[in-house]
Amino acid sequence: MAELARLELSEEEIALYQQDLNRFVQSGAELRKIDTDNVSRTAYVGRAFSLLRSDEVAESLPQEVVLQNGPKVVDGCFRVPRVMEDEI
Amino acid sequence: MKELAHKLRTSQVSSVELVQHYLDRIRAVDSDIRAFLYVDEDGAIAEAKASDERRRRGEPLSPWDGIPIAIKDNICTVGTPTTCASRMLENYYSPFEAEVITRIKQAGMPILGKTNMDEFAMGSSTEFSAFYITRNPHDLTRVPGGSSGGSAAAVAAGEAPWALGTDTGGSIRQPGAFCGVVGLKPTYGRVSRWGLVALASSLDQIGPMARTVADAEILFSIIAGHDNRDSTSWPNAAYRVMDAVPDNLKGISVGVPEEFFAEGLDPEVACSVRQAIKMLENLGAEVKPISLPHNIYSIDTYLTLVTAEASSNLARYDGVRYGLRVEAPDCTTMFKKTRTKGFGPEVKRRIMLGTYVLTASHHEAFYEQARRVRTLIAQDLEQAFSSVDVVVTPTTPTTAFRIGEKQDPLQMYLSDSYTAIANLAGNPALTMPCGIDRKGLPIGLQLIADHFREDLIFTVGRVLEQSLREVEAGGEL
Repeated sequence: MAELARLELSEEEIALYQQDLNRFVQSGAELRKIDTDNVSRTAYVGRAFSLLRSDEVAESLPQEVVLQNGPKVVDGCFRVPRVMEDEI
Repeated sequence: MKELAHKLRTSQVSSVELVQHYLDRIRAVDSDIRAFLYVDEDGAIAEAKASDERRRRGEPLSPWDGIPIAIKDNICTVGTPTTCASRMLENYYSPFEAEVITRIKQAGMPILGKTNMDEFAMGSSTEFSAFYITRNPHDLTRVPGGSSGGSAAAVAAGEAPWALGTDTGGSIRQPGAFCGVVGLKPTYGRVSRWGLVALASSLDQIGPMARTVADAEILFSIIAGHDNRDSTSWPNAAYRVMDAVPDNLKGISVGVPEEFFAEGLDPEVACSVRQAIKMLENLGAEVKPISLPHNIYSIDTYLTLVTAEASSNLARYDGVRYGLRVEAPDCTTMFKKTRTKGFGPEVKRRIMLGTYVLTASHHEAFYEQARRVRTLIAQDLEQAFSSVDVVVTPTTPTTAFRIGEKQDPLQMYLSDSYTAIANLAGNPALTMPCGIDRKGLPIGLQLIADHFREDLIFTVGRVLEQSLREVEAGGEL
């Protein structure tokens, strides 16, 4: 789980979160017993309306402003460590 | 606020004087309360000078031009930090501003600073801020509530006339109740989320926090409106402040869900809210019992959805484009080390729970089931509004608890037992003070209305507030 969430947890943290998770699962047990066979899933609350906007060209932020918070920026790009060997 | 606007209009006070008054107040009390993460003295004074200049030329941008405001630190502003009270964004300066900030500026309002909160808005006490805790102005040993605890405390302590907060499961209303201020969670889609750092996108809304219902209504009218950069923004979202409210509530029906007065509710809170309901009846409202039977599942449903959405939304903090980065020889290790160092314990807890409910083997039983139960919870409210205009409940089960009192995260989550329903169903809901308990702590009452019927909430709220004030002043009920 921590691997999926891209977190490194200590033994103590794992024990703590495991305990929280177990209690969370227990407390929600009733929730999972409710018969919802004929109930639709809520995707959006409120009144439905068209989500489309007109396709117009608008100004966007200048590149240097977009990059201003980058921890490492080189030649107008975000720089990251090597990716390939790691994932394959 | 109308009084302040009048004084500005008739030159009895200048915006610079007003801003200086609040900056002085912040300097005097904020070392104890710590409502602010960042105070923008120079920026606020500069904006106030510009406001005074506009008024001299007879060209104020709005009646509220020159009245300052405080902003929760998960709303993007340009030129001041936006940290979400997290180490992850400690040095983050947003390259763009939130739509609500654009609207605040278009109204001419100087920004005093950014207020403290639980990290990434995850919490109900502001104790989870990565920087420092905020204290309740009514009792410095107690929490202000959360996650908009800084905004609530700032308004309660007179450090700002009003503020913006955000509400995903009760984060405006619970601190509003704990600090004795008014706060509105608007209808989902009524206020743009553009520039709000996302916690749970299907639940988040930005809303006003103020000292009176009338002030909250004014601030709501400034920030509400359509924005095509938020695909969930409603086309007819704009709101106009009502010129006058009636002096009674004849013709208005009020629903009282008995489930909200059951086990777990502090007797003093129950008593105070019931007295206020009696007052509504005396004002001419028709009070009816209603039932919201699925609300008992709202906290578990809410937790499932909020952790799922948060774990997904917070995947963006990977050390690549902004925020903290911990260097490592490969990308995956860099992601892990960055996230491990940048996130606090509550954020990690929720990311872990959210990851769990979204895993292939659990998402049907947990996440999808929660989405279905959400529908049932929303149907309860829909049903209620076929027979009543507003629903009245306590805002929170208790008044403000002591700092450090709730060590158990699952206990802390119960603070939102009465508020999460409005986020799950998308309805507008307001908290307003309705009394104080024996410890001298404020008690909050919640008004919920049908989608886009903030007008009904403000009508009932303003009439009730007037009546409560008369009683407080010694008048007869």
